Parts: sequence; structure tokens; C-alpha cells
Amino acid sequence: MYTVGIPRSLAYFFFLPLWKTFITELGHEVIESPPTSRAILDRGVKEAVNDACIPIKLYHGHAAHLAENCDFLFCPRLVSVRKHGDFGSETFCPKFLGLPDMVRLALKDLPPLIDTRIDLKQPGGGSQEAAGEIGLRLGNSPAQVKRALRLGMAAQGYFHRLCQQGILADDALQAVFNGEKIYPPQSHGQDITIAVVGYPYAIYDPYINAGLLKILQQQGVRIVTQDMLSDRELNRQDSKLPKTLFWYFSNRAVYGGLHFMSDRQVDGIIHVTAFACGPDSMVDRLLEIEAKRHATPYLPIAVDEHTGEAGVRTRVEAFLDMLRYKRRRR
Amino acid sequence: MIQAYLGVDVGSVSTNLVIISELGQLLASKYMRTNGRPIQTVQEGIQALGQEAASQIEIIGCGTTGSARYLTSMIIGADVVKNEITAHAIAASHEIEDVRTIIEIGGQDSKIIILQDGIVTDFAMNTVCAAGTGSFLDQQASRLCIPIEEFGGYAAKATNPVRIAGRCAVFAESDMIHKQQLGYNLEDIVAGLCEALVRNYMNNVGKGKEIMAPVVFQGGVAANQGLVRAFKKYLGFEVVVPPYHDVMGAIGAAYLAREAVKRKGRTGFKGFNLENINFRTTSFECRGCSNACEVVQFFENNNLIARWGDRCGKWELQVG
Repeated sequence: MYTVGIPRSLAYFFFLPLWKTFITELGHEVIESPPTSRAILDRGVKEAVNDACIPIKLYHGHAAHLAENCDFLFCPRLVSVRKHGDFGSETFCPKFLGLPDMVRLALKDLPPLIDTRIDLKQPGGGSQEAAGEIGLRLGNSPAQVKRALRLGMAAQGYFHRLCQQGILADDALQAVFNGEKIYPPQSHGQDITIAVVGYPYAIYDPYINAGLLKILQQQGVRIVTQDMLSDRELNRQDSKLPKTLFWYFSNRAVYGGLHFMSDRQVDGIIHVTAFACGPDSMVDRLLEIEAKRHATPYLPIAVDEHTGEAGVRTRVEAFLDMLRYKRRRR
Repeated sequence: MIQAYLGVDVGSVSTNLVIISELGQLLASKYMRTNGRPIQTVQEGIQALGQEAASQIEIIGCGTTGSARYLTSMIIGADVVKNEITAHAIAASHEIEDVRTIIEIGGQDSKIIILQDGIVTDFAMNTVCAAGTGSFLDQQASRLCIPIEEFGGYAAKATNPVRIAGRCAVFAESDMIHKQQLGYNLEDIVAGLCEALVRNYMNNVGKGKEIMAPVVFQGGVAANQGLVRAFKKYLGFEVVVPPYHDVMGAIGAAYLAREAVKRKGRTGFKGFNLENINFRTTSFECRGCSNACEVVQFFENNNLIARWGDRCGKWELQVG
């Protein structure tokens, strides 16, 4: 039995149910880094290459935190999880593709990385094969791998179903692993619905976005995110665009934004964008143009290592005032 | 006694206080430098206003705005605490009929607010970059040994404003030095700087916004005629600078107080005599987790009345 560390950043917020269940069911112990703190952020900023975006730096901080306490660091090379986009060209953002190399070069004294290439769009590059490779690294038999993968997929499916019932991803994760009872999303006392779109690691990490979701909830806002939509609902939006973007999480954010723009229940859209993110320079502009076209109130919030709560709060308060005045006028 | 409303706007650079009548008439105003001491400045400002007005005016509502709005609200007993964007929008739409665009440039931030039929439909604030704000102008004025008040006068005398790279305050400065070493005259450089600042504002805060007339230019920086001219030149139409452009945030807070008191019924205003109350803050670093939050404690006459600054909410406290 090994101890496998999973950094609490990037795809963690989206694929944890599969990863953790799979590894646990293989008979190993999973340890996760604690929620982002100033110490983790500072460490990441110090260790990572200077030009990286803030989420990548943060990942380095989480990885460094785990390094001493695990036998393996789980850092798969995420290339693609589906055949999608023009000529099936969709991948994860380039930084995800190079993540294991970046981490290995930047951090000293790392345990061996499980850096299996996940490239499901390739013929013969299925999840069975990727799971098999991970199992081999951890000394498990093909039968064990097959069973663990099935359970992992089931956990992942359960997670998505919970999200699609309107439960925020972090609550859904609690439910998947701790069996915590989840209450259906409240509608009591909430007069405004806001769609928060963006990368899971920007939306669900309260440290890096200065507690955006909590601020919204305190102000009586019902929150919806792209992760509450099914793949079908999301992908349907693709036909509205002249061309598909190249990146998985970017496509999800854009589709989510487009979906909510035509949803009459949604009063406004907040796009959480990560500082120095290359794809976001396109995603944000695209959403801004579409929001204008749909006459949907739109607020971009850029997060970086200096983001203070004050800046986020001022913008959010002004945005909510704007929506409430508008409603009162109607 | 005239019944009136008090609005206080405490920003990074200036602290502004106004008193308006029920009908929105400006009865008194104060523009002060915050000088890094918001508590003291607010106390002094309230005190000074009291000496001027307390005999004829009864405050029946008060509101705060600006980056120190929460702190200030506890000093004066505010009925409403509002963000700067809403406050500025409310003030401008009361002062200028059918205003469509508000350009607001303050000490350390700049914003653009788009309105339609008196309602905000879009806004943006500058992020980390200060290249388009008052502090940058202040700094450059002092480098050139020109009092900031005369900056506009210099710009007006320019015949051929030089082109200065305004993307970044640091590069703008080196570009200015370069131009001055080549022998361009000061007037042209100052005017060029104003134009660079406007370009930077438009490309940064104003990016993607459709700017329609009437445009109102407010905030402390609107006193600078050089910038007003540069905005007009860039936009190609008139830019209105309201008479009380430097205290518009406070005026907005006062209007909001008027609304709030109508709902609440009575004001929480502590009165003009704040001199005998001792307000102070202390802070400590929480050791509860690795976030090491700096928690601020706010005391009124040695009574702890509020605590904030922690991310987890463990210390959060508000009395009354």
C-alpha cells in the first residue's frame, strides 16, 4: 500500500471523485493538500517559473506541501478527455500538458510522479489503458484496476449528478466522500440569480478568489455555475460560435456563459478569470461580446496573488446594486 | 433648524464630507487629505462641519462610501454603507440629467460607469495598474516641480503635445525623461502626459465600453483642466465637470442616506461631537492556520465594537 498525494488545485476540483475513488479502491491511501492558504500560495509563487499563470503557481505550492508526505505524487498529464471541437482538436490548456515536467523541474525532493498521459481522444488511448498504466505503477493487478475504475467512474457520475441538481461543486465533493447530507439549494430570501462561470480552480478555491461565492451568498444571491449543466446542455451552445476554442475548461466556461445568457432566470454573469491565463484573454473577450449582444449584465473578476477581499467586494456590491435597481425599475 | 443628510467618502487620498438638504441642495462640503489616517481625518472633518453648521442643521441621515466605508460607518453611525460605484452613479444622475457615462478618476483608482435612464448598466474599475490615476499625476508633477494645481495651466499652453507611452506609469516616466532630455518644452510634455493618461484610461478601464454623451467627469482629478481637454480631444465631444466634482461620492452617499432613513425611520448618527470619543484600532496576526490573517479590532472608548480581516470568520464581530 502506498500513500498517493493529490494537490488541491487545477483539475482536482473537477476530477477528484474519479481519481480519489480509483486510487483508494486500488487499496492505497490518498492524501490531499489542505485548502489554499497564504503559505501555500507564497511557496508556489516562489517555486514556479515566473511567467506561469497564478493557478499553475498555486499548484506548485500544493505539490510542494505534499512532497514530503507521500510515496507518489498524482500529477497526470491531462491532454484530452473527449473528441470535441473542430477536427476533434480540443485539449487541455498547454500548461496542463506540461504540468508534470514543470513540477518536476521546479520542485526538489519530489516523490516519483504518476504522470500518466490522459489523452482519450486518441484511438486506443482510452481510460482503461490509462488506468492500467497507473495500476502498474502502484503494483495492482488488471482485475483490481478494472474494478477500481468502474467504481471511480461511478463516483464521478454521482458527483456530476449532484452538481446538476444545483449543488455547488465543493458541497457535492463533501457529499461524495463524507456522505454528508446535502440540502437542496435554498431559494429562501434569495432575490437574484447569478451565473458564475470560469475554471473550476478559480471558482471553487475561496482563497484565490477572495471568497467570491461566500460574498455572493451573504448578499442573498442564488449561484449557478457551468458545472450544474449537463454535457449535452453545454455542447449545444457550440453551434452558436463560428469556431470552437481549443481548450477543455475554456469551452466549458464559454458554453456555460452562453447557456446562462439565454436563461431568463439568470440576472447576470460573473466571469472569474485567472491572472496571466492565456486562454482567458480570449474567453473573457468572447463572453464580454456575447453578453453585450444578449444584453446580459456581465462582470469580469480577475484574480491574482494580490487580490484583496475589498476589490472583489466593491465590484460585487456594485454589480448587485445595478441588478437590483434595474429590477426595481421594471 | 434645517433637516439635512450627511455623506462621507473616505478614499485612499482624500476624505470628503458633504451635507445636503432634503431637496439635494449642497449646504456644506469639506475636501480633506486622508494622509493615511482615516479615523482621525473623519473625526476632524465631522468636527469642522459641526462648527460650521451644527447651529442651523439637524442631521437626519448619514451614509458612507469609499474604500474606508465600513470603518467610517462605525465612527459616525451610518445609516447606509455603499460602494463607490453606486454612490458616484447616484450623485451624477441627480446632478446631470440623462447622464450616460461617468468618468471618475481618484487618487488610486479610476472607474467608468455607463448608465441608461438613470440606471447603471455597466461599469469597470482599474485593477492593479495605477498608470491612469491621480497618484501618478501627483508624482510626475512633483518630479517636474510643478504644483499639481498648475498642471492644467501648463498643459493649456502647449502647442504640440508630445506623444508619451502611457501604458505603464514606470515606462511613461522614462519616456517623459527621454523627451525632456531631447529638449521638448515642459508645456508640451505636460500636455502629452495628460493625453497619455487619457489613452491609458480608455484602453484599460474604458475598454469595450460604448461612451455616449452626456459624459460627466468627476473625482479629484477632474480639477485638472489639462485632462478635461485631453478627454474632449479624445472623445470628440463635450465633457461635463460638475461644480462639486471632487465630492460627488459623498453627495451620492448623502442621497443614499436619504433613501435609507425613509426605510429605517430614524438615523444612527452619533452627532458632531466626536472629539470626546476615542476611536482606535489594534491588530494581531491570527495563529489559527497558515493563512496568518491580520485581524483588526476597532475600539470606541475602550469598548471593542468590531473586528474584521479574518478569512474564516472566526473573529468576525460587530456590535450594535
